[in-house]
Amino acid sequence: MSSLGVVKGPMSRAGTTFILAYAFLVALPMVGLIGVLKSGRTLTAPISVNGVWQLQADPVRLAALPCGKTLAENPNTTLAISQSGKNFAVSLSSDPKSTFSGVLEGNTLKALLVPSPAWSAEAGCGDGRELSLVATIDPKADPRSLVGLLSVNQCPACSSVEFHAVRQTPRARSGGGAH
Amino acid sequence: MPNLFTLVLQIAVVLAACRAVGELFRRIHQPRVVGEMFAGIMLGPSLLGWVAPHFSAYLFPASSLGFLNALSQVGVVVFMFLVGLGINPKELKKQGHAAVLTSHVSITAPFVLAAFLALYLYPRLSDDSVAFTSFALFMGAAMSITAFPVLARILAERDMLGSRLGTVAIACAAVDDVTGWCILAYIVVLIRAAHSSSSIWMTISGILVFGLAMIHGVRRLLRGFERVYREKGALSENLMALMLLLVLASSLFTEYLGIHLLFGAFLMGAIMPKESKFVRYVLDRFETITVTLLLPLFFAFTGLRTNIALLKDPEMWMYCGLIILVATAGKLGGSTLASRLSGMPLREAVGLGTLMNTRGLMELVILNIGLDIGVISPALFSMMVVMALVTTFMAVPLLDLICPAQALCTAPQKVTVPEVSLQEIA
Repeated sequence: MSSLGVVKGPMSRAGTTFILAYAFLVALPMVGLIGVLKSGRTLTAPISVNGVWQLQADPVRLAALPCGKTLAENPNTTLAISQSGKNFAVSLSSDPKSTFSGVLEGNTLKALLVPSPAWSAEAGCGDGRELSLVATIDPKADPRSLVGLLSVNQCPACSSVEFHAVRQTPRARSGGGAH
Repeated sequence: MPNLFTLVLQIAVVLAACRAVGELFRRIHQPRVVGEMFAGIMLGPSLLGWVAPHFSAYLFPASSLGFLNALSQVGVVVFMFLVGLGINPKELKKQGHAAVLTSHVSITAPFVLAAFLALYLYPRLSDDSVAFTSFALFMGAAMSITAFPVLARILAERDMLGSRLGTVAIACAAVDDVTGWCILAYIVVLIRAAHSSSSIWMTISGILVFGLAMIHGVRRLLRGFERVYREKGALSENLMALMLLLVLASSLFTEYLGIHLLFGAFLMGAIMPKESKFVRYVLDRFETITVTLLLPLFFAFTGLRTNIALLKDPEMWMYCGLIILVATAGKLGGSTLASRLSGMPLREAVGLGTLMNTRGLMELVILNIGLDIGVISPALFSMMVVMALVTTFMAVPLLDLICPAQALCTAPQKVTVPEVSLQEIA
């Protein structure tokens, strides 16, 4: 193998090897890159739900739901969603220590909330109860909006509560670490 | 107003953790900076927040993170100035075609492979608020970066700075970093322009004018610093303050233009005079406080944003493994292949590839920008942090394996030894 470090003439063997190697290892991949960027434009990523959402629900019906009193008492509750592809985490402004984790299936959001110990102290909220959130996103609405149901697992007698949420701002990414 | 008690407590805990873990890593022959990066992750939700959530919430309440971030960003601004100061692109010219080919391949190979990987990851880890082009270009830039300071440190510790391998590695890393930052600047402009009312062409024109003014105008004025240093053997406190002011002004200008504070700091460092004694003198003045106090805060802040728990199922770990594999294949493989084609012996070529594969702190800086501008998701951020840690950690053991006897990889360089500095940073 000849060294490319010393070039004796414009058409020396080393110079030719350099040009060939450069074309093969640098120029050609750059052409490939353009192809990748073009073909990637046809890909679709999951719909964006990242951001802060203002939650609106009937406070009376919410208060009647086990674990719903905390939400009903905070009419300005927001959901902060941190999204990674189809997976997302949600924290509630009314109780930041409780977090949902969920998945996106098309335009449908599904998440389960495990109430924090403080929230679980609410009457009827203990015994490992979880809040379930199922909602559909309207991707064409600007700002984006959610319509869905909040229900409580392990409580067949409890009725679900409808809610509506409007995205306030796409959230600046904070990673998963901010408490 | 920040809660001073909380802030000082945070700084104390971060410093203690970084020094302790850094020392542990030093004992296993790893650069201290690798240990400090690990310490940052340990202080975040991946370990402390998981093992002791209440203590973690007490120590790092959400309301305090803004102040910690601000302090850490000041540290990174100074750090990027020092990185720019330590880089001398002219060194590449001295190395001939071999280094030109190696440096360019060490950018294009990981860049293109990352773009291919983006085809797979975009539908899985991104969302429709991010354009594929931005996503793919960011992945490319993040994977093609090399941790210039860590690389310099490893070479210095192994007494390889004057070797052919060392000089080519330093020259290539310099080119990689400058190129990587230019690409990243373009991505930031693209993304910010999408959310801004001002035209992208106005932004690009502003950046070009600023760059030209810095390179052809300010650069000449900066020679005055070197002249004073040559005449007096030192710079007065006023001149050092002026230098710092210029760094801050440049940073503010790039932030105003719609790129990022760090680009201005890096550019100011890059256009500073490169006389080796002058560079060493400036580094000595700024390094200690940056390295011992401010950078650990950046590691901690990065750690607080990194949540390994987001990689909760085997599928996510598979993505993470793929990222590490592609990053290593592109950087290590690409650099090795190009340097081998350039006539470097196989052992040295693999050694060069290994060195180029260290991403370290530079990667964390880029990833934080990516997360801030929303081009990567929290889970992808965590995966990329793991990749940065793994590729940086593997460098020393791999070099031990490739060059068990130092003489095997220290063929002397015929060309002048470059002005390597920043050794203390890593």
